[in-house]
Amino acid sequence: MDQTQNTSNKRTELQMARSMCWHCQSEVTGEYYCGQCVKVQPLSKEMDYFTCLGLPRLLAIDTAALEAKYYELSRTFHPDFFQSKTEPEQQISLGNSALLNTAYHMLKDPVQRAEYLLKLEAGSAKDIRNSPPADLFEEILELQEDLEAFRSASGDAKETDQYRSKLLVDRAQLEQRRQDMDTKLAGLFTKWDTIQNRAPQPDALRPQKDDVLKEMRELLSNRTYLRNILNDVVAAMEGGHADRRH
Amino acid sequence: MAYSEKVVDHYNNPRNVGSFKKDEKGVGTGMVGAPECGDVMKLQIKVEGERIVDAKFKTFGCGSAIASSSLATEWLKGKTIDEAQTIKNTDIVQELNLPPVKIHCSVLAEDAIKAALADYKKKAETETK
Repeated sequence: MDQTQNTSNKRTELQMARSMCWHCQSEVTGEYYCGQCVKVQPLSKEMDYFTCLGLPRLLAIDTAALEAKYYELSRTFHPDFFQSKTEPEQQISLGNSALLNTAYHMLKDPVQRAEYLLKLEAGSAKDIRNSPPADLFEEILELQEDLEAFRSASGDAKETDQYRSKLLVDRAQLEQRRQDMDTKLAGLFTKWDTIQNRAPQPDALRPQKDDVLKEMRELLSNRTYLRNILNDVVAAMEGGHADRRH
Repeated sequence: MAYSEKVVDHYNNPRNVGSFKKDEKGVGTGMVGAPECGDVMKLQIKVEGERIVDAKFKTFGCGSAIASSSLATEWLKGKTIDEAQTIKNTDIVQELNLPPVKIHCSVLAEDAIKAALADYKKKAETETK
């Protein structure tokens, strides 16, 4: 646990250099290949996704650079290039490719990236239920009732129109709020990166870091509630039920 | 994912859907949400004397969340405040055969029960003052 934390901000090579080559038992000095026997090395299962893609633990990331690194590593580990190799090498190629894919998809999306950082930095923060946003909940429950009324009024054209125009206003308002939340989230990204750049060590400036993380947790939670109700509104207006992703 | 028969039953025929007026005497309201998935749950109890005489819920979320709150309202009816306090999410998991990825739905239901009971107690205190 401490080991992964201490090395999380160093280069990938260092994390791998601690291990021995699975094949020839000599110390691995190369980045992804053993310097002695030139066999591909497995990426550590404990390696976090930022390290996996050679990135510092920051939130505002250069997506072009991320993509370039992803393609580069994809070519390095792609199972197609290991078809003529031994069984263990094929397994490593598969495992590394899978880890790489998960890492890339998690970091590509800003919201998922933030969720992942929260998990890394705060661990159980998700389990701590901060005081639920009562106003937002009330609003959501009211909107859901409007939606139900709209759905069941499908036979009456005049009534349907009334609900529809109300929902159109609600929808525009919800979309605006989501935009506002995204702006605020971008602000928190900058805040985090500033602190992290100044003090990359996990324990340094911990209280300040935790404040940003807490604010981010709250914002992301509210954004999820908002996203769900917005999806439901859109789905109802376009006919049919929203498909909840779970 | 395949839901258990009991979840499907509660999902298709949810018990006690609805709501009481929040400010009605003896009514306790719990509103909770799961930040992971954005599910929202409102659970209300109506208390006469020391006993819960009625319970209602409204849940917007997945089948397991609906089933968990539906089951919770069934269990709450007829219980005393103290008995209701002892309902655990693990009881709900067992009764509904919830898979590990859906355990948070039962936690949500337990949170909603606790919130409703706390709200009732708070109201009862101010009413007697």
